[in-house]
Amino acid sequence: MRQEIINKMNTIFCEVFDDDSLKISDNMTSADIDEWDSLNHITLVVNIEKVFGLKLNLSEVGKLENIGEMIELIFKKINL
Amino acid sequence: MSKTKFIIFRDYFVNDKVQTISLKAIKEDIQNGHFSKAFKTLATLSEPEHDFTLQSRYVALFQSIPPEELELKGLRLAILATSTVDHFIDVLKFWLAKQGFRVEVFSSPFDTVHQTVLDSTNALYDFAPEFVWFFNNYRDVTFSVSFGANQNECDTAINDTVKKFTELWKIIQKNLPCHILQNNVDLPNFRVFGNLEGSVAWSQTNLLRKFNLCLASASRSGVTIFDMEYLSSLFGKNSWHDARYWHHSKHAFSLDACGLVSSQVGALIGAGKRGGKKCLVVDLDNTLWGGVVGDDGLNGIQLDNGAEGEVFLNFQKYLLALKERGILLSICSKNDEDTARDVFLTHPDMLIKLDDIAVFKANWNNKPDNIRDIAATLNIGLDSIVFIDDNPVERQLVKKLLPEVVVVDLPEDPTSFIKAIDREGFFESLAFSNEDSNRNLLYKQNIIRSKHQNQFDNIDEFLNSLEMESEVGPVSELYLPRFAQLINKSNQFHLTTTRYTETQIRSMINNNMTILRYFRLKDNFGDNGLISSLIIKRQAKILFIDTWVMSCRVLSRGMEEFICSEIISMAKCLKSTMVRGKYLPSKKNKLVSSLYERLGFKLIKKEPDGASYWELNMKEPLPKISHTIKRTKSKDLDLENWR
Repeated sequence: MRQEIINKMNTIFCEVFDDDSLKISDNMTSADIDEWDSLNHITLVVNIEKVFGLKLNLSEVGKLENIGEMIELIFKKINL
Repeated sequence: MSKTKFIIFRDYFVNDKVQTISLKAIKEDIQNGHFSKAFKTLATLSEPEHDFTLQSRYVALFQSIPPEELELKGLRLAILATSTVDHFIDVLKFWLAKQGFRVEVFSSPFDTVHQTVLDSTNALYDFAPEFVWFFNNYRDVTFSVSFGANQNECDTAINDTVKKFTELWKIIQKNLPCHILQNNVDLPNFRVFGNLEGSVAWSQTNLLRKFNLCLASASRSGVTIFDMEYLSSLFGKNSWHDARYWHHSKHAFSLDACGLVSSQVGALIGAGKRGGKKCLVVDLDNTLWGGVVGDDGLNGIQLDNGAEGEVFLNFQKYLLALKERGILLSICSKNDEDTARDVFLTHPDMLIKLDDIAVFKANWNNKPDNIRDIAATLNIGLDSIVFIDDNPVERQLVKKLLPEVVVVDLPEDPTSFIKAIDREGFFESLAFSNEDSNRNLLYKQNIIRSKHQNQFDNIDEFLNSLEMESEVGPVSELYLPRFAQLINKSNQFHLTTTRYTETQIRSMINNNMTILRYFRLKDNFGDNGLISSLIIKRQAKILFIDTWVMSCRVLSRGMEEFICSEIISMAKCLKSTMVRGKYLPSKKNKLVSSLYERLGFKLIKKEPDGASYWELNMKEPLPKISHTIKRTKSKDLDLENWR
């Protein structure tokens, strides 16, 4: 199931940053993607909420260190 | 952990697979350089209700089209916001492109509205926007009122708050010739006193409600209230207000509402710059009533015999309200004319009467031809027509043959007709003038006039019989809205294609290098109202006709000649040596390409962009200009002092 989430996340990243060749990995951060600024961050969060059908606590999202932790958070939310 | 959980995962556009395919196709079109096709598909595909994930996809595709590839008109818009509007602006630019505008946006840094407005050296003033949008939300409005305060205390507090807004408008209007949009406030989705808030004057709910009303009363010419309160209700307040995004990124409303807000303001700005739609062409069977009158007979159609008929009556009520608002109603139906007319004349429940209809076309010709006839009879462009028909085949034909006409994709269920038309914002307007409400009458008089014309052997005899009188005058506050509206809506009889806001025109009133004249025309069939706006600029001894627009309703009646002789009198009075006119061709003003030639002006110069300059030398013998229009009321024309 974690892999499913990763795949979905990858699609979202490709869409939001308009780059079909983008491959996400656990230790990736906003520093690794040029276009990942505070504006695109919001777009990203809105997309994640829509695709996974959940509402995120934005304080929690702000504390995440990398994509891996983001995926972990989604994984936890889905399995509540 | 159960596998079924995966099912709730939303795929992108899972609700509409076609969308995924279409977006891919659009992307391919863009990559292959088919930009306008891609944009057209994108424009058709996108709906105001689509959520932010979709809107941002549209934005990305739109942004990958080089702007110069689309035929868009430049527009400068300043947004002075007290919240984060960056995402919204991207979506807004796309929706304004759908209206034909390439928007350049100036946005003040977060929450610096006052500083931006008050500092006259601010970049805002160099930017010279055509529209300034005060983008407020309910959090900006606070009242010093204690619980239980009396009505007077509440009103004072509200008026104090309103004043803070009107002061900013005044500063903007003093310094910028622009139109102002002002958000009213979106009421929040919580109430400290619960339901009681609706019953007492001092509650936040009722203070905000009254604030919105007072803000509207305080608005003046050049200011339009943008009804965020309506939009938040339409969207649903619980979804509109997403406190998480307010607290974390200062978004004042849900990003999912970006499409709705953008489409609404787009329709408003589009109507303001271009004029809204003027005429609604409506089918009859299964559109204005249920059933087919040719088959079912007068008694067989559904019109107030139970729920089904009531739906159509309700739709008729909506159409009548649009007619009162100034929209022309015309009929275009495949029917025998007598059968169709009979319903209007004899059906007891029929609300719309023949008198409400500007042009009635019931015949077996194809609808595009009929619509062309309607446009010609009313003397309006095809692009100011909206076509309503329940039959998808007819709609398709009109779409194909008359791409300028807007065709509403009417839902099958007639209970949704009103919503389908209303959501498009066809009839938006920045202001309302008397001419709006009288328009139906004006056009009907015109049709009677042309019937009358057929009784005469020659045109002069006919024109004489009209006993026309034209009132000429300088522009005052009273006439300003209509004067400006005419300049901004006219396309056909518009020699230089200029557009001016009310504020710009107001600044010309007090400038003695500019002469503004309005013309009204009355005849024995009725009053046509203000039908021509003229702006003349004095350049030393030359009078330059900067703007000359005229309503096409009064074409070929000698009005052009009348106005020209008025200009000549002005030139004489001011001892000018020359009257200079300019014709700048556009897609729509071919009508006046040879106007100056006809009036006896000499061509002196032709520019590469097609612009031609024409002159009338006041020292040479002047051309003979004849008309049959009597001039009235010139007492406040005071050119003598200006020499």
